[in-house]
Amino acid sequence: MVAPLYTTASGLLFHAGKILVLTIGLPARGKTHISRALERYLRWMGVKTQVAQGAGGAHKVPPDYFTPGEKSPETIALRKKISEGCERLIWDYFNGGGQVVIYDANNGAKATRNAIAERFEKEGIHVVMLESLCDNKDIIEGNIRSDYYHRIKDHEKHYETIDDQDWPFIKIMNVGEKITLNKIEGYLQSRIVFFLMNIHNRFPYHLLRSGQSLIEHSYKADSDLSPHGWEYAANLKDYVLERRAKSLEARSIDPTSRKLVGLNETLFTMSTRSGPPPAGAHTTPPGLSSPPNTAPTKPRTSPTSSSQAKTATPLRSTSTRLSPRTQKRGSHRRSLRRSRSSRNRRCWRSTLGFGTAWTPDQAKKYYAEDWERFVKDPYSFRAPRAESYHDLSVRLEPILIELEREQEDLLIIGHASVIRCLLAYLIGLPASEIPAIEIARGDLLEVVPTSYGVQSHQYHFWDGPGRSKDGRTYGP
Amino acid sequence: MGFASTIVAWFGGLTPCHPPSVYRLKQFDESTVVSRRGSAAGTPPMSVKGIGNKVAKPDYSESKIVLAMVGLPARGKSYLSNKLMIYLKWLEYEVKVFNVGQLRRSRAKQKAQRYVGIKEEHNASWFSHANTQANHSREQLAHDSLEMLIQWLKEGGNVGIHDATNSTRMRRASIEARVLQEPDFHLIFLESTCDDPAVIAANVALKVQSGDPDYKDIPPEEAKRDFLRRISEYEKVYETITEPHLSYVKIVNVGAQVTLSRIHGYLQSRIAFYLMNLHLKPRSIYLSRHGESQFNVEGKIGGDALLSPRGMEYAAALPALVKDNVGDAPLTVWTSTLRRTIQTAGDLPYPKLTWKSLDELDAGVCDGMTYEATYPDDFANRDDDKFNYRYRGGESYRDVVVRLEPVIMELERQDNILIIGHQAIIRCLYAYFHNLPQADLPYLKIPLHTLIKLTPKAYGCDEERYKVPIEAVDTHRPKPKGAAPAFVPSTARQYFAADVEAAARAKADLAR
Repeated sequence: MVAPLYTTASGLLFHAGKILVLTIGLPARGKTHISRALERYLRWMGVKTQVAQGAGGAHKVPPDYFTPGEKSPETIALRKKISEGCERLIWDYFNGGGQVVIYDANNGAKATRNAIAERFEKEGIHVVMLESLCDNKDIIEGNIRSDYYHRIKDHEKHYETIDDQDWPFIKIMNVGEKITLNKIEGYLQSRIVFFLMNIHNRFPYHLLRSGQSLIEHSYKADSDLSPHGWEYAANLKDYVLERRAKSLEARSIDPTSRKLVGLNETLFTMSTRSGPPPAGAHTTPPGLSSPPNTAPTKPRTSPTSSSQAKTATPLRSTSTRLSPRTQKRGSHRRSLRRSRSSRNRRCWRSTLGFGTAWTPDQAKKYYAEDWERFVKDPYSFRAPRAESYHDLSVRLEPILIELEREQEDLLIIGHASVIRCLLAYLIGLPASEIPAIEIARGDLLEVVPTSYGVQSHQYHFWDGPGRSKDGRTYGP
Repeated sequence: MGFASTIVAWFGGLTPCHPPSVYRLKQFDESTVVSRRGSAAGTPPMSVKGIGNKVAKPDYSESKIVLAMVGLPARGKSYLSNKLMIYLKWLEYEVKVFNVGQLRRSRAKQKAQRYVGIKEEHNASWFSHANTQANHSREQLAHDSLEMLIQWLKEGGNVGIHDATNSTRMRRASIEARVLQEPDFHLIFLESTCDDPAVIAANVALKVQSGDPDYKDIPPEEAKRDFLRRISEYEKVYETITEPHLSYVKIVNVGAQVTLSRIHGYLQSRIAFYLMNLHLKPRSIYLSRHGESQFNVEGKIGGDALLSPRGMEYAAALPALVKDNVGDAPLTVWTSTLRRTIQTAGDLPYPKLTWKSLDELDAGVCDGMTYEATYPDDFANRDDDKFNYRYRGGESYRDVVVRLEPVIMELERQDNILIIGHQAIIRCLYAYFHNLPQADLPYLKIPLHTLIKLTPKAYGCDEERYKVPIEAVDTHRPKPKGAAPAFVPSTARQYFAADVEAAARAKADLAR
């Protein structure tokens, strides 16, 4: 399954060779959005990927630059310069160990794109054409910037769609509604298609940590919120709604036209749902009869009784304190509610072994050897009886697919380790940096896809007990 | 859930002296009642003594998918259905194929037994669209089979495959209407079309020569003629899928061209993803463990040891054995990144690829130890549920299945492949090709110095084993309770629904 699994000496994965994805499509067909999302996903898989931007909004160009047909000599020269510059960039990246380059340009002329494909094919690069088509006016208009109108009109006259089977291609109609494939071969290429089947979202994601719980030091206890946790939940609701109203206003979107989903009712639950912890094992590391500092907050649940709790394990949830309105809206989304419990379980925290009952100092003292391994490679370190960040990433893959598929704004409330993984995916951080991401309670993270990547903001809205353990949060 | 709430009500007013404290916890935690509803308990692992742990089955989707096949006879529909079932079962989804042909034959057989002398003729004219009475029977069969499928999904299945021709818009519309009545069910059509005469001819030949009861006691020539007529009866009314509102996957010539329409969601995309990688070209897959290693001799597990002298002999003998089997056909050798497999493949004159995914199951802290020397508790626990047992700091068999996924996908689209692997890895791959239950997987006998040749056929894999007469230690640890799994690979097509059930029962018995 996906998620960064390992690295190889050559830096390439799956024996898939090097791949050039050549995007084809009229302006405002979501090519850049698709390219960026694909880049993010492949990087998450551990594949070294780069988008090479053709002439788009990034360049200052003469008026006839985008008009196919007759050109002024100045424009011809500039076009040549830009496309040569792009190809040089692509080569630089391939030669520097990159595996996939997504060449994000219009490539509407058949002769031109075939020439590019041939040049790369000759050097042993696999070329895949990726055409994005739209016959849905709404999608196109949603993508349009005002100066685009003329550009599109001009382009449409000269645009040549893929109509032969010479090159491997992926043709996408209306951002994933229908996909046609030709000669797509191999694991990595099919993975690309797998991802493209689900791509949709270009709306903000909001990420939040869950509130403080009664049994804060044990991740497996799955206790209810503490009083501070409830306070946090109340604050959170007000802040999220306020923040969202502002954000919609800034994007000049009518608030009634948009839903905020995911929250509580549906996908990315803020609740955790875990089965009974292994008897006697959940807070006591092996070799120690009584764990330090567990007594004060622990309610009287004996390990034996909690392991009988098959049907009645309580949830820790901030969900019901959110606006009933959002819940109602969520309930319309039948398709998303279906497998709620399973999704909940996917959002379990990564249980970093000694993290459960130990401060870093204690862990260092009692488990020096494990601690050393953890510090050396926190991403793949799997503590006794626990999960590594890698395990968590593997577990989260279906969530990522659902994330891409969701067509409304999303709020995700989860545990710090889960949020770390999701954030790394969204903003494209390498696996090695996941464990170091700081996620504090009381910060709302907002990730907004833009035309050239994503923007993330952090909004601080709450200071209170349990914001973070020691300024640096090791555990989930 | 219902049970638990009853208890709460029952003990509600009492001072809780004995009732388990969890129920009390639930009582004061009324705030989360809404979100708690509907979440089922997971499948938590039992606790274990010792240093390793058991990992529960990962969290699988609760999706309910009806996958309806579309296509003329002899277009590989049953082949695709079976492959898909095996793949998804290997990933621990619940999948079942509902083959309308099997149902038809079973019913005809019952009828023949009940009313001796009356035999329903299922020849080409029975399949003609002009035959009103037969039309009705065929509609009824497809309908009944769909009802059985839906019932099975409701009882906990994930994917039910409706293996029938479903070749008209009308039939598809009626399936759609039926599935729509079930909340939360998804419907996907899978159309397989083929315009390669060679592939069709091969499928037709397979059909008439492999003992199809429809053509019992009929000379092959006549059977073939009848079958071709049956196909042409279907062709007259065949309508390819163009309905834009349906979710469908259309495969032309098994994978060369693929069209996906409205395929969204994790499991749905996974299904399409797998189907994209299949092909029908005849080929063989060779599996072998590395030659005997120094660690094998010492009885140690894991490590990155070199070959023993006897292991070196095996490496030297391997090229001739492979050459005997493969001849001049192209072959690619895959090894893990560990030295003993690379060394074993050393003398083979074929292109070689190393896969990190093929590395042996990571024994974590037990790496480099002998089975007997340490952690006796742990090994007892491991024997208890070997598939789920994860070594401390290492892996379980299930972890291995997960990481082998890219290898499986690549294997499906390649030609002849020789894999030089390790015991646990070969077990997982072998179980995938033979569709064996996960519980048996860790006990499969994969001896050293043996080359296993698997030849995928339409309904299973043919297997041959070549033992090289070079002594080696036996690293197989038998299943502590019950007999070791033994089974006879079969590539025979199952013609009656009852056959399928019987085979499943036999397998389940073996697992016990």
